[in-house]
Parts: sequence; structure tokens; C-alpha cells
Amino acid sequence: MWKFLPYIAKNLWRNRTRSALTISGAAVAMFVFTFVGSVQEGLANLNRGSQTERSLIVFQANRFCPSTSRLPEEHARILAKMPGIEEAVPIKVFMNNCRASLDLVVFHGMPAEKLRKVRDLNLVSGDWSTYEKQRDAAMVGQALARRRSLAIGDRFSIGELTVTVAGIFTAANAADESFIYTHLEFLQRMRGMKNSVGTVTQIEILLAEGTDAKAMCRSIDEKFRTGAIQTDTRPKGVFQARAVGDLVDLIGFAHYLGYACVALVLTLVGTTTLMAVQDRVREHAVLQTLGFSWQRIFGLVLVESLTVSLTGGVVGTGLALAILSWKGLAVGSEGVTIAFSTSPLLAVIGLAATSIVGLAAGIVPAWTAARAEIVESLRSI
Amino acid sequence: MPLVEIHGLTKEYHKGDQKIVPLRDASLAIDKGDFVSLMGASGSGKSTLLNLIAGIDRPTSGTIHVAGTDIASLTRTQLAHWRARNVGYIFQLYNLIPVLTAYENIELPLLLLPLARAERQKRVEIALAAVGLTDRADHYPRQLSGGQEQRVGIARAIVGDPAVVVADEPTGDLDAETSEQILHLLQRLNAELGTTLLMVTHDPKSASIARRQLRLDKGVLLEPEPPKVALAARGA
Repeated sequence: MWKFLPYIAKNLWRNRTRSALTISGAAVAMFVFTFVGSVQEGLANLNRGSQTERSLIVFQANRFCPSTSRLPEEHARILAKMPGIEEAVPIKVFMNNCRASLDLVVFHGMPAEKLRKVRDLNLVSGDWSTYEKQRDAAMVGQALARRRSLAIGDRFSIGELTVTVAGIFTAANAADESFIYTHLEFLQRMRGMKNSVGTVTQIEILLAEGTDAKAMCRSIDEKFRTGAIQTDTRPKGVFQARAVGDLVDLIGFAHYLGYACVALVLTLVGTTTLMAVQDRVREHAVLQTLGFSWQRIFGLVLVESLTVSLTGGVVGTGLALAILSWKGLAVGSEGVTIAFSTSPLLAVIGLAATSIVGLAAGIVPAWTAARAEIVESLRSI
Repeated sequence: MPLVEIHGLTKEYHKGDQKIVPLRDASLAIDKGDFVSLMGASGSGKSTLLNLIAGIDRPTSGTIHVAGTDIASLTRTQLAHWRARNVGYIFQLYNLIPVLTAYENIELPLLLLPLARAERQKRVEIALAAVGLTDRADHYPRQLSGGQEQRVGIARAIVGDPAVVVADEPTGDLDAETSEQILHLLQRLNAELGTTLLMVTHDPKSASIARRQLRLDKGVLLEPEPPKVALAARGA
């Protein structure tokens, strides 16, 4: 079949406008398909990671948006003493938007010594000592730094909060790269945070190996049930799923959009290939006269269809992944972010989908071309 | 033994309720190296006979042996492979592939044969030289005159050194002067390369250059030369 590739390429070039339009259409569809796949994979990644299974979030009962949850910081010290708890980290959360957003900026204020202990961060620029020494210093996730064009030493403001970028990190969990970590006390004392000293938004619990997470949730809530402020404790995964619940429904629905994109590529490539075959009825008859078997004609048309589809897939998927990598997009709600994934698996899925679709779209035209009667086709205009 | 041997060949097809018989009980033998012209009016069945011998159509009844193969018994795929090795076809309307150069058009049938690139190149160059188009190798069909296109078509037909070359009205779309050049070229290929040629034409002048002239009238071969010796040898 390799020997015939120049012939296939020249045929595509012969109707270059039609080929280009079909490739563009397929590319746009695969661009959307990859975006949908990216956010779906991001959602799946949200609850992955060893720490998520061992982590609990203690929140104020009957509160949803982080800005309304106010727990005494003292709770963290009480919880740290409970058997089965390895770490209890008080966290103050501040963000630019409590609702669903594509540009959510979330600050997590926590004690500096705890940050390195409970978060698996890899510093790509800046240093920890500057962060630890400087009161307004912030560690910024690489995705957010890209999105907001931040570099070391930059001052960055959201509302009345201004921080200085001391480090940029990558994280095992891509969603963490949309966060900004800063000192707890700095966030508690920021202008506009009335009576915030001594209070935190949530407490993150790291359980000791072998501890039953659900039982621990019940124990914690029971402990504070009679106090002034009750708690609502859940495993971190459950907490995150509840926070992005509305988004999960939307993202779940978006997979139909993905199917629609694949169907669009199928229709586009199928129509173009059929048109190409109808234009070349006599040419295929000539090839058969020269000794091309029907299987070879079938293969030639199939490869032509595959080439168009795959080219569109490479362009669309490649462009989507390049933009997602460059922009570091994330969608979030109530302080929890879902990072758009850019894993190689998405590229493989995109290319596999376009390959299958390309072959499927070519079957009917290829069969039409291959099984046509030679003498009758030679008479066609 | 004749190179082409047909016996009792009939072709029928239906058009609505009407039964059409373009070829009726034809028998014919063509020896290797022969140059046969087949004359007849439009609808006389000459192209049908040509297509049957070339293996691109199937008879309703009768036998066709070409180069020792009973081609009527081959499957569609076997027939395609057989055509690639044994038949060169010259079309009236040239039927070159428009996206390929003259060189690539001529090379096309060779791609189906187990030949190395260098061998293919050598054969194409010889074929181009034989039709006098060495300097037009890189030209596309749209850059060639009708006569030149037909020469490329002839080169494509002979490049694989097939057992038989069939030509369906090869000068039907050309002016008189170019027609004469093409006919002279066919005559030369037959004489110098020993190519076995079967040419369909409705023009008596064109037919006259062949060594043997046959005529078809309403599906009946009027001047058949029944291959008595060969058929007897087969027990027919």
C-alpha cells in the first residue's frame, strides 16, 4: 500500500479546498472532543492520589461556600491529639468567586511548616526559605502562574489581598496547581477579613495508616456536637465531589457533546470520501482494468478517508492540548478546582477515535468504488 | 497453440424486459505476435468481445483461453491479478490518471507486479522511449496533446510486457494525422517487439494496417478463423 501513497496524497490535493474544509471541520470537532475529554479526565484525577484517601475535611456544619465557614483554629489543636490522626492542618480559604468559574483563584492560608508536610509540591522556581521568612509570600501553582502570567517577585492582588510570589510549583495532583498557598496568619489578618484572627475555614485531617475514615468523621462531628460551632466532616474526595456537584452534572452531560463531535467527524469525512469516489467512478474502473483488485481499490479509498480524518484529529487534538498546556485552565466551584488534564492518554484517545472514525467513514464509499462493474463504470462520464 | 482462443462465446444482458445479445456464439484464435483488427458498426459487439478477452467482462456462455488460462473460470480477484500480468488496455479516451505525471501513469501497472524500484524505472524509461515521449515524462495529462496522451496510454499498456494488448478505438478521438502516427506506432510495436495486438475500430483504413482483419455484425463474427487444430487438440 505504501507504493500508492503518492497517488492518495495527490488525489487529496486534487480537491484541496474540499479536503482542507473537511480536515478543518474534523479538527474543530476533535478540538472540542479533546476539551471535553480533558475536563472529564481532570474530574477523574481530582480524587486520585494516596493522600486523598487518607484525608478528611472538617467544615462548619450547614455552610457551603468557604467564605461562610468559620471554625475556631483551636479545633485543629484538639483534633491533632485524637488517636488515629497524624496531622490536623488549619486552613483559611480566600477566593475571588464562590460560584462556578473558569478563572477561580483560591488562596489557602496554612502554617508554613505544615504546607511542606501535607502537600506533595515540587518547586520549579523560587525557594522555600524566602517563603518562610516573608510575611506576604505566596507559593503559586504553575497552572495559575501561567494563566495570570506570574513570575517570582511579582505582586499579585485579588480584592484587598496582595501577595508576593516567592515560588512556583507543580503538584502530583494537577488541581493543586490552581491554588496559591500563603501564611495562615497573613490571610487571617488581611484587610477586610473582620474578626478573622483565630478562625479558619476548614481543617484538613491526615489520618494514620489503618484508620477508618468514616468512623473518624463521625467521631469528630460528635466531639463538637455540643459546642458553639458544630462541624461537618467528610473524606476529602466526598467533600470535593459535593463542592463541585453542579459542575459534575454539567461535565457528565458534556460527554454527549464528545459523542456528537465524533459523529460530526464521521459525517464530514464520510460525505467527502463518498463525493471523491463518485467523482472518480471511471478512474477506479481504469485502475481495475489495469489489474487493481477490488480489495486494493477498497484499501485505497479507506486510506484516503483515514488520512483526512487523522489529519483533522492530529491538528484538532494537538491544538487543544497545546492551548490547555499553555493556558493551564481549570474550572472550579466553592474553592475546589478541576484542572483540565493534558495527559498523553488524551492524545492517544483523540487519535484512536479519529482513526476508527476515518476507517468507518470510508467503508461505504470504499465498497461502492471497489464493487462497481468495470465496463459500466468505464462508460460513465 | 494460439495465444487467445475463444469458443462458442455468447454475451447476453437484460435491459428491462428486453434481452440484448451483443455477442453470439463467437469462436476465434489469435496467435502470439499477431496483429488483429476487429471491425464493425456501432453496437456490433466488437467492444464486448474485446472486453471479454481483456477479462473486464464475463461471458454468458462459451470459453476464453488467454495465454493458457481459462479466464471465464477465475474469480473477480484472480481475474484482477491475471489482468495485471497479462493484459495491456489502450482506451479510446486515453483514461490517464489526471493527478499523475506521464511517468507515474506508465509506472502504475508495474506497482502491482513484484518489481524493484530500479527495475520499474528501467521499464518505464524503455516504454517512454518506445512511444517517443522521454522528454514528457514529468508532464501531467493536461499538459499533453491528445496524441501524446494516447502515446502515454500505449506506453502504460505495453510497460508490463503483457501477453496481449487490446485497443478499443485507439484513434477514435484523434485527428487524421495523429491517428496515422498512433497506428504506425502500434504497427511498429507489433513488428519490433512482437506485441500481440487486438484492435477494435470502425474505420476500414485503420483496420487495414493489421495483419488480420475480422468483422462483427450484430454480434456475429463474420470472418472467423475457427481454431480447428487447437480445438481438436483439446477434444472440443
